[in-house]
Amino acid sequence: MSALLTVDGVFKTFARGGLFSARRVDAVKDVSFVVGDGRPEIFTVIGESGSGKSTLARMILGIHAPSRGRLLLDGMDIASVRGGAARHAFMAKVQPIFQNPFEAFNPLKRLDHYLFMTARRFGNAATVREEEEQADKALRQVGLSLAEARGRFPHELSGGQLQRIAIARALISKPRLIVADEPVSMVDASLRMAIVNQFKALRDDLGISIIYITHDLATAYYISDRLIIMQKGEVVEAGDARAVLAAPRHPYSRQLRDAVLLPDVAGTAHGPVSAP
Amino acid sequence: MAAELRTAASAPVAARDPVLRVRDLQAHFRSRYFGVTRDVKAVDGITFDVRRNEIYGLAGESSSGKTTLIKTIAGLVKPPLEVVGGTIQFDFLKGYDGLHAAPPAEVERIRWKNLSYIMQGSMNVLNPLRRIRDTFRDFAARHMGGSGAAFDRAVFDHLARVKLDGSVLEAYPHELSGGMRQRVTIALATICRPDFIIADEPTTALDVLVQKDVLGMIRSIQREIGSSVLFVTHDIGVHAHLTDRLAIMYAGRLAEEAPTREIFARPLHPYTKHLIASLPRIGDDTPRQALEGSPPSLADPPSGCRFHPRCPLAMDICKERVPPMVEVLPDHRVACHAVEGSVAA
Repeated sequence: MSALLTVDGVFKTFARGGLFSARRVDAVKDVSFVVGDGRPEIFTVIGESGSGKSTLARMILGIHAPSRGRLLLDGMDIASVRGGAARHAFMAKVQPIFQNPFEAFNPLKRLDHYLFMTARRFGNAATVREEEEQADKALRQVGLSLAEARGRFPHELSGGQLQRIAIARALISKPRLIVADEPVSMVDASLRMAIVNQFKALRDDLGISIIYITHDLATAYYISDRLIIMQKGEVVEAGDARAVLAAPRHPYSRQLRDAVLLPDVAGTAHGPVSAP
Repeated sequence: MAAELRTAASAPVAARDPVLRVRDLQAHFRSRYFGVTRDVKAVDGITFDVRRNEIYGLAGESSSGKTTLIKTIAGLVKPPLEVVGGTIQFDFLKGYDGLHAAPPAEVERIRWKNLSYIMQGSMNVLNPLRRIRDTFRDFAARHMGGSGAAFDRAVFDHLARVKLDGSVLEAYPHELSGGMRQRVTIALATICRPDFIIADEPTTALDVLVQKDVLGMIRSIQREIGSSVLFVTHDIGVHAHLTDRLAIMYAGRLAEEAPTREIFARPLHPYTKHLIASLPRIGDDTPRQALEGSPPSLADPPSGCRFHPRCPLAMDICKERVPPMVEVLPDHRVACHAVEGSVAA
């Protein structure tokens, strides 16, 4: 069985400046990896701002075309997706989840509207009743129900609830792959683990692979199967998530790992209480 | 790097005398429409001290009221925000119950000299059209006194403390990286050696590697000039590394307050326990549970203890009576009916 997503020697170069003084910036340099080979997985991309991780996500979503190299989804080149019908079929398979749920939804539209629209376009819902059924089913998969979301505006819900509705919306098209760009960094601490656990459930119960993009090594360790660490557009370390984070080899990965502020430190050698 | 931060952290014991005393502070967003008054109780009965020469941490989720609390302390009280009750006393501002109650001339004298503010977005502080040198002159020169040359010298020396060289003085803010800009704002906030510094999520917008450096700088400058810092962030990991004492805020009230080390070693309030237990750690594979429900609306908060609808230990009394903040162990205060009984017994 071939892999769900193959990223093969991908480059993305942006040109900046004018006609004569154009500077070329390599946002992504020679990145290759495979996601979902044989079984669904959570694949994490770790990097700081400017590491090219969001550019990579945009290429996987088909928003940017790579400058060089190929991205294959189920063996089909993402760059070859042209025209309405092909684009529609592609979007049904790959769905995004964004960082800030308050920005992802139009504040003047009701939330159920998004779910119904997605059901009509991607779920082949022909009647209002079918739309509602599909919306309710997707919401139940993330621990909510249509009764809770019906008629509500984004400002009426917390960030955690909104992010779960964003996930429910993505589930309606029955995707194979979800690209989640920093999905929990705007979510409150007491709700963050609900979202993170949700991703595990999507992988285990629905067989969806997830590309989890983050700078947070602790949640990456908690949920991911495999990961890559990016610095300035290049992959500096890749492999099994637990093995890499337990003993990072590249100097940059070690720096990142050492910068994680562990709460345990407080219990050992910290603060005025420890003074004799 | 980690070791550096930690040794720096176990420096002098904070003296007990408070620089800031907040007593039963209530600050509400009050709206009046057609004679009907509605209150959003963002800060509802908060009492705490910040002692001399300590970093006091304040943790809370979004909409827990922590930003309203520090705005009120900084005197930035504008309608619809109103101070409904309670007092704020600084030891350098005698005779007034908070900056919002002091006359503008007095506030002018105190800002930067006695009290300064490090904000989350450095671009909100630095004027994009002025060079860094001019920004320093605008803010700090009149508080420092002395000649222009002496002031420039002082700025130059002070920048070395945040590991910046003099060349940044000629730069415009956009020419500097985010980390450098945030270091400039830290230098700005500390150059007058103020007694009290409010830091509102100063590292949240920074990358993890830069964040660690900036935290180390805040710590070393604080130890050098002996200011008190009220450090606000939702990131529990940052508190663990930086603060001497820590208060946890939930829905407009304090849930728990103790020395940081004590709170991590022995959290008592169920909310604090959850916050610490739910943090994922590298090398630990045990499943983490999320808290049921969501943070309450401050316009219509739950009765009694505001945490009771989400609390695993909730009893009947929790719905009826607001738990008082009680010192259950030395220097460790908790507002919880369940804890109050069990520790005392």
